[in-house]
Amino acid sequence: MLELKGVKLKYGYVEALKGIDMHVKEHQITALLGANGAGKSTTLRAVSCLNRIEKGEITFLDQIVHRLQPSEIVHKGIVHCPEGRKLFPFLTVQENLLAGAYTLKDRNQIRSLQENVFTLFPILKDRRKQMAGTLSGGEQQMLAIGRALMAAPKILMLDEPSLGLAPKIVEQIFDTLVTLREEGTTIFLVEQNANAALHIADYAYILEVGKVVLEGEGNALLKNENVKKKYLGG
Amino acid sequence: MSAVLLQQIILGLREGSLFALVALGLVIVHKTTGVVNFAYGHMGMFAAYITFTFYTLLGLNLYLAVAIGITFAVFLGILTEKFLLRPIRHLSHSAMLIITLGMLMILEGMALLIWKQDFKQLPNLITGIPYRINLGNSFLIITRQDVLIFVVTTAIVFGTFFYLKYTKLGLAVRMVSQNEEASHLMGVKVGRVYGFAWGLGTGLSALAAILAAPKEQVQPNMMLNLQVQGLTAAVLGGFDSLPGAIVGGILLGIIEQLVAKYISVELKTALALMVIIILLLVKPEGLLGKSSKRRV
Repeated sequence: MLELKGVKLKYGYVEALKGIDMHVKEHQITALLGANGAGKSTTLRAVSCLNRIEKGEITFLDQIVHRLQPSEIVHKGIVHCPEGRKLFPFLTVQENLLAGAYTLKDRNQIRSLQENVFTLFPILKDRRKQMAGTLSGGEQQMLAIGRALMAAPKILMLDEPSLGLAPKIVEQIFDTLVTLREEGTTIFLVEQNANAALHIADYAYILEVGKVVLEGEGNALLKNENVKKKYLGG
Repeated sequence: MSAVLLQQIILGLREGSLFALVALGLVIVHKTTGVVNFAYGHMGMFAAYITFTFYTLLGLNLYLAVAIGITFAVFLGILTEKFLLRPIRHLSHSAMLIITLGMLMILEGMALLIWKQDFKQLPNLITGIPYRINLGNSFLIITRQDVLIFVVTTAIVFGTFFYLKYTKLGLAVRMVSQNEEASHLMGVKVGRVYGFAWGLGTGLSALAAILAAPKEQVQPNMMLNLQVQGLTAAVLGGFDSLPGAIVGGILLGIIEQLVAKYISVELKTALALMVIIILLLVKPEGLLGKSSKRRV
């Protein structure tokens, strides 16, 4: 569905991505793992055209997309839920969700998407009149995912949804991702929490300083000795 | 309340309305694009000259000339943002600040070059017998233009609030002002929102200039005081708060009138600024500012 071929990206003189190849398949969770600074977030930023790639090609449903504007990417159905949530703190929960549906015009569709988000995260329904900035960390992450879902994504890209959350909440968020996959959403998941991510991922890539060093099915990587030593703490 | 005091407050409301109008435009532009536009007042001044040209020199209907002047300002704002500021957005805010400072000088120079040094006139937009309000044994005269200024400001303030609150473009403006990158990721064409803010803001400056023109005359520095007072009003209100800009403007207008009446006319601006310095020492985030708020 989404393919990256030989993608290179530079921040000034620093080569952040040194020619990576990836393939995100439809109806699957594809995880992208690695340490800080490996280039995980950069990969997502390249796909959503927040940063321009220098070489290579990004295609989505067989169309080249790396020369588009960020807003056009959203129209294509690629929705990026950024690192650190980036909510609109002085908009209410409901307004944040509406903001997520910015590209949509059909009011009925927006309403049903919102109902869907409220079913996934009932707490957001209770808080819908509250300013997003007043939510707890877990609620903010739920809102960030909910907001991304409001754009009716064909592919949902999540950047570290577990960051700074209590283990119990992380579990809840990851359960939601599994539910979303069952409903047919394609997910491209960037994570530092390799253990949790590999347990739900169909396929995974591991990045080290801008290069894919390992890839394979989630289960296989969980058993891989190298991965165990480096990323699973044992 | 004594009649004299009431009179000062009414006069303050009139002055304050103009300050609020200027402050509102400054705040909209700053909130959305992060730039304090130094040329703000001068852009309005230029629009006032355009109105003067169409009305006096070309003999057009006054209201049509006003509409042309404001439209000119709207486009001046949009084009300035698009061609002068957007290309250097990635540099720094101070770079953009310098550009607006350059604009200020260019507009002033061009106005002198085109329309020469002598002051020009623009008439009141509304004429007729002034209103007379009896206050006990004294009375107060308010011109129709003063009433118009107050009414127009009120209408614009409410119009802007409802627009920002209930329309899609309004939502986009609020999104961009809170998180630019996330707005990109929601599919907002951020450049268009910048253009909208600059167009709206500069249009407000033109409106303020045209409303102030009968008193200030049309001349290169006609908006100098209003720009300073508008900026002060904006700071007083917290700089990123639209209601703050309005409250700040009205309050500043009233404070100035009270100082002028009870202390000294010469000191009115200086003392008003003193009051604000003290207020900001006590409450640094401004009257309605949000202390935790920072542009990302």
